[in-house]
Amino acid sequence: MSDQDVLEPPESVAADERGLFGRLHRSTVWRSMFRHPQQDTPRGRALQGFSNFFLHVYPVKVPRRVLRNRYSWRLGFIAAVLFAILLVTGLYLMFVYTPSVGSAYGDMQRLKTGVGFGQLVRNVHRWSAHLMVLVVFLHMVRVFYAGAYKHPREFNWVLGLWLLLLTLGFSFTGYLLPWDQLAYWAVTVGTNLVQYVPLIGGQVQNLLIGGDQIGQSTLLRFYALHVAVLPSLLVLVLGVHIWRVRKDGFAVRRSHVGAFEEEASARPAAAAAAHAAPESYGGRVRLLGVVDRESVTAEARPVDDTVFTWPHLVVRHVVVALGVLATVLGLGVAFAAPLRGLANPNLTPEPAKAPWYFAGLQELLSRFDPLVAGILIPAGAVLAFIVLPYIDRNPATEARNRKVAITLFSILLAAAVVLTVVGTFFRGPGWKWIPPWDHWYVEL
Amino acid sequence: MSEPNRRKVLETGWKLGGALLFGAAGYTAYEALSPLSTGAAGGTITIGTPANFASGTSTYFAEGRFYVVNVKDQFFALSQKCPHLGCKVPFCDSSGRFECPCHGSVFDLAGEYIAGPSPRGMDRFFMNVKDGNLVVDTGALVTGPDRGTKTNFTPPTGPGCIGKG
Repeated sequence: MSDQDVLEPPESVAADERGLFGRLHRSTVWRSMFRHPQQDTPRGRALQGFSNFFLHVYPVKVPRRVLRNRYSWRLGFIAAVLFAILLVTGLYLMFVYTPSVGSAYGDMQRLKTGVGFGQLVRNVHRWSAHLMVLVVFLHMVRVFYAGAYKHPREFNWVLGLWLLLLTLGFSFTGYLLPWDQLAYWAVTVGTNLVQYVPLIGGQVQNLLIGGDQIGQSTLLRFYALHVAVLPSLLVLVLGVHIWRVRKDGFAVRRSHVGAFEEEASARPAAAAAAHAAPESYGGRVRLLGVVDRESVTAEARPVDDTVFTWPHLVVRHVVVALGVLATVLGLGVAFAAPLRGLANPNLTPEPAKAPWYFAGLQELLSRFDPLVAGILIPAGAVLAFIVLPYIDRNPATEARNRKVAITLFSILLAAAVVLTVVGTFFRGPGWKWIPPWDHWYVEL
Repeated sequence: MSEPNRRKVLETGWKLGGALLFGAAGYTAYEALSPLSTGAAGGTITIGTPANFASGTSTYFAEGRFYVVNVKDQFFALSQKCPHLGCKVPFCDSSGRFECPCHGSVFDLAGEYIAGPSPRGMDRFFMNVKDGNLVVDTGALVTGPDRGTKTNFTPPTGPGCIGKG
């Protein structure tokens, strides 16, 4: 890029803009911050993208198909928006909350009675956390079905799995903080899973909860993990994850032979027709004789199907972000986050359920040996998904060409969903089968 | 073996320094996270003479988080913590058994495994007699009896509290 591109002459920028804003946009101070004010030309938009930190998260142009909601269902973006909401609401909560066994529960009650909008902030934080677990999981499912974990995006799939685990860690550590019966027993059950790890299980569990039962040490270390360790890790991994997506231009195009093209120009139909020409003519004529001029031209100049990210994609993202915010606010107004009685180590509630995303694991544990159900199956599943893009060398992404992978994954997915639904909705005291229409034992 | 040169020595030095730094950071994290001994558990508790505990009964001691049971004049101090996933196992008066409300594990009066997902019977604390009194050592936990152990089997005395028993 030449200097002329970088240093836009002031008169060409917002020159026709009148009034106070025009003067502001032409001022030296404004131009020191925004070197390329809005110019509604292709060059202006490109320069804006290059020079703006926030727009630089996006590539300057993306393939047109990225604009379709159906392309990705925007699940990754929705997860990122939920994370942002969680950061902001979490910050509010940090000003009220003290991670102490003596005061944590009182702080929760104070949120309800003594802090303006305190309960709403807590509700929004809780619903956003639940939704984030769900959305990140759905994002993974969708990426699998689209075959988007394949070369060259293997590593980004692995990073995505780490993000899912970090999200679960976030949700689980946050679960304890209200210090009520729900929190105490869900975390007791959850942390006791660790003891089934052979050899080091007991030691790891001790480190995790800081003693032989959940107490002040547990609350403090879960708090530290929740507000410092996990956010730092998640921001770091998420940064790399999004950077990779951006470098791939939000889309990677696969060609017919299974290789990838970095940018997403569609292969012109006319060029394909030219290759197919001998068959079309029954193979009786030479290629040289039948290639028409139009197809040669089309091959030399591929159709550009890309559009500028700003405003096309960014505007869609803003709409989605507002939709997500409206959804969690609506949920927060309609449904209060639960707060049961003060945590009591001597009173086991009936039933004591793990958080819903671990309810499938709890259901599995009630049926199989703990070593198998609590450790081998979940650890095996995570490991299998990590190595998946490296062992699945089939370059096809269409479902009809990857029947084995799709079938296996669908069976696993169905099992996980059934176990989670059964554990969450159909289990009562003593882990007995009690349908939700007989008695509602669900608490989120 | 090739001659050592400055580049190799420096490279090895950086690697060793890095390993040392990570090792120190890891050890410090381990030390910071290791539970401090609070003195809450691990002491001995004198619970009185055997005559205080009638046959076929269970008595709870909150300070030690255990039950003392008398099974045909054999005494056991059973940890309240379910071996399955750590819930507190309450004693059900109607069935005379320990029934875990979390996942439905059931143990008889002696803490031996009857039903449910628990991998074994209830863990026990070491107990002895000193000056005619029973003394429970909460620092000495003995892993519960394996599934299938019926040494001190007692049948249920009535219906279960959570519908199993």
